[in-house]
Amino acid sequence: MAGREHLGEFEQIVLLAILRLGQEAYGVPIRIEIERRTGRAVTVGALYRTLDRLEDKGYISSAFSQPTPERGGRSKRYFTVRPRGLRTLRASRQALSAMWEGLEPLVLGGS
Amino acid sequence: MLLRIASHRATDAELGDVIEEYVAARRNAWWLVRQVLSIVRGPRSHLTISERGNEMFANVRNDIRYALRTFRRNPGFAAAAIAPIALGIGINTGVFSILNSVAWRSLPVPDAEELVSVYQDFRGGPRRLVYGARTLFSLPEYRTYRDQAHTLSGLIAYSREWTVTLGREVPQEVSGILVTCNYFDVLGLSPAIGTNFTADNCVRSGSPAVILSHALWKSAFGGDPHVLQRPIVLNGHDVTVVGVAAAGFDGIDMAKAAFFAPTSMASVLRPEQDLQDNAHISWLTLIGRRRDDVALSQARADLSLVASRIDQEQPGRTTSLIVEPAAALSLPPARRTVLRGASIVLVAFGLVLLIAAANVANMLLARAAARTKEIAIRVAVGATRARLIQQLFTESAIIAIAGAAGGSLLFWGFFEALLPALLASLPDGQLVRVDATPDRTVLWFALGLTVATALAFGLMPALQGSKSDVHAMMKQAGMAAKGGRGLLRGTLIGAQIALCTMLLIPAGLLSRALYAAHTFDPGFDHRNVAVVSIALRGPRYENGNGAIFHEQWVDRVSALPGVERIAMAGRIPLHPGRSQATVRIAGDPEEHVVDVNTVSPDFFSVLGIPILRGRVFTSGEQDAALVTESTARRYWPGADAIGQIITSGKQRRHVVGIVRDARVSQAPDAASSYLYLPASRDSQREISVLARTRGDVQGFATAVRAETARMDGSLVVRVQPLSDNLAVLQTLSQIAAGVAALLSLLALGLAAIGVYGVVAYVVTRRRREVGIRMALGATVSDMRRLILAQTLRPVAAGLAIGIAIAAAAARLLQSVLFGVSPFDPIAYLGTPLMMTAVATFATWLPTRRALRSDPVTTLRSE
Repeated sequence: MAGREHLGEFEQIVLLAILRLGQEAYGVPIRIEIERRTGRAVTVGALYRTLDRLEDKGYISSAFSQPTPERGGRSKRYFTVRPRGLRTLRASRQALSAMWEGLEPLVLGGS
Repeated sequence: MLLRIASHRATDAELGDVIEEYVAARRNAWWLVRQVLSIVRGPRSHLTISERGNEMFANVRNDIRYALRTFRRNPGFAAAAIAPIALGIGINTGVFSILNSVAWRSLPVPDAEELVSVYQDFRGGPRRLVYGARTLFSLPEYRTYRDQAHTLSGLIAYSREWTVTLGREVPQEVSGILVTCNYFDVLGLSPAIGTNFTADNCVRSGSPAVILSHALWKSAFGGDPHVLQRPIVLNGHDVTVVGVAAAGFDGIDMAKAAFFAPTSMASVLRPEQDLQDNAHISWLTLIGRRRDDVALSQARADLSLVASRIDQEQPGRTTSLIVEPAAALSLPPARRTVLRGASIVLVAFGLVLLIAAANVANMLLARAAARTKEIAIRVAVGATRARLIQQLFTESAIIAIAGAAGGSLLFWGFFEALLPALLASLPDGQLVRVDATPDRTVLWFALGLTVATALAFGLMPALQGSKSDVHAMMKQAGMAAKGGRGLLRGTLIGAQIALCTMLLIPAGLLSRALYAAHTFDPGFDHRNVAVVSIALRGPRYENGNGAIFHEQWVDRVSALPGVERIAMAGRIPLHPGRSQATVRIAGDPEEHVVDVNTVSPDFFSVLGIPILRGRVFTSGEQDAALVTESTARRYWPGADAIGQIITSGKQRRHVVGIVRDARVSQAPDAASSYLYLPASRDSQREISVLARTRGDVQGFATAVRAETARMDGSLVVRVQPLSDNLAVLQTLSQIAAGVAALLSLLALGLAAIGVYGVVAYVVTRRRREVGIRMALGATVSDMRRLILAQTLRPVAAGLAIGIAIAAAAARLLQSVLFGVSPFDPIAYLGTPLMMTAVATFATWLPTRRALRSDPVTTLRSE
């Protein structure tokens, strides 16, 4: 039923950010990637609430690294998008494209 | 278990993110707070914090919301609780910030936390000359420390308060400091214009040089950039200006420095003193800069090692060093005095805060009692005691935090504006550097004060209020609450009265001192007497020329029209400070410390002090002395003082006359051991004379200035009416009494509100009991007497305790109590009377109101 499940806008953004970062996808770069590309400030807490939810739904998985001193002796939590997440993302994209079809001139065309 | 570890690590990862970004991207503290809050907030699908913690956060949020709602519904209660706390915290923080600025704040130079001040405390060793304080160093000692200390990257020395005459045609007196050549380098400063001292400026025979402060450059030279090219005149010598210090830098002491000159200039500015190479003169303060990796304790140990080497070279000497983080006020004796004085003030203001806190505690207690029903219900549905305490204490914490916020507003709004005005009203206040802008220490103080206040007024009511015997409470709610809480309230009243008495008695003493200073008869006639002072500085007055000038000048001033008589005195009457000597009296094995003043024969007629017996000195007579009448009574009781012999060292003197006691010294104990010794016209450089004039002081001042200018135009002449010295005393007692009066009014008002509140509450709660008593035949006045007696019992206990503590503490105030005993009966009797009157009134008012309603109606209504 994955294809029918609904993805929120911010959830999509987070999933795409993780895909973009590949091996380097943990909290700090994810936040920075989102802030840089969307210009939208995201608090650490809000990001992790979404990440936790995505993991609960089985879209992503996470693993802890060794603790590092520059983080006050705390681990990094790396995220990867699971196949189920990819499928949902694809479905969301298709749904959006279908809805967008033919509307670009009206919405984006100006005048 | 596994889940908890996992969730713990998940939160950890989030915090790790925050830390990493905070450090790497140099975010500000506000960002940090927001991120951390975002982590702990909100519902989570994962248990990121343990269940318990989450629940507690939720509870705290609920408690805060609940408390805010209660306050909104009862804004009068909130305002009455918050306002006095705000006042207390604001004033205390303000007073502390002044103390902090002089005693702890780091100096206004780069990396100031590395700087340490060094003083020495030593015993034994060769005889030592002292300029300023014994704890200072000599130049050879400085060099030893500079060369041998390994833990310092630099060590400077400076000498305070060098008052010099600047200019020749239009002379003015300015005060600066002498510094070692590395002064600006070690402090990490560079001149705004010009250069630092060169090596040539700093050797003994080098060319005289000076660096001006920015303020002096602006005021005396109009900010002229060419000041570097031509010499200026200091004490009659040409001196090159090599630079101008950066704007706003006035040295690192409390006293602002107008100029900085190398220590080698000492022999130019004061050739009569050889300060340079003598190892046994105290005149320099040392300031060192610690190396990066050196702790304060290491620097202490290192410097002490050098001190012990110096001790070895001087047999019999033992030195201990005082090495502390450098602050504006570092000189140990001055620092001790200020810290002691400031702690008295802080304690006094702290007492007012305590009284305010006691009031709030009272209000909370009353509220907790009124909320017994609510609390009983909470317990019945399963609230634990800890949960109740948390809830009640949250309310106190909110009051304290709101109070602290209000206090800070008060502080920033008024205090910082008030301080410059206060400084300007003091004599020489504009020469003092006080930077009271809050720094971290002040913030910590305010925070600590807030927490302490919250605990002081919140803890007890929370503990009391949460005591819960559901059964009894449900039954009793609305009925008289007696027993434990009544005792607690009595204690609160007693404590408030005691605190208030502790403030009011010193305040009473201070206002008595103010009255004494205004009505005080010093025993001499200070009207129409002017004090004229000049300082003979520069090459003109060397080699005995000073003494010749002195003699001529005195003769010419006394010949001025309008001058009746002129006299010389080593100590000007009612000037601060005293000269003391150790003397032996023939036939008495003990040594006595007496106050001495060297005066000319005319001193007594100028001041109108009568000679009771005997005669004054004749001119040129050196082996004579006069004593005051109480001195004569003290040392030669029942015998004739005249003809007795007093020895001081090798000098023997006969008592030739007895004069009436006069309050010529500010020290209260001076009159009973006071000697007048003949003044000699020696080579003194600082001269003060007393002149009895016929006309006004202004006209006389003009005449003296003109006459002095005819002799030497470069001398600065100071002329002041002698009564100004009395005015200084009066101003001091006025400020002290004013502050004390304000404090005690505040304390008395707060205590009265406290008593009123408690009594009003208690009588309302006891209406049932009152009704029964009256139904059984008691009259209204019986009831009134009963309630009054019950209230006044803790008041009396509080008074007794307060008086005892005030009496023990009063001696600390002795130095400001001019003309009043610290056990002045009027203050000690008047204060309790007034307090009792206020307490009675505060009891009577609510009692009357409570007894007006028909008690039987109250009974029926239950």
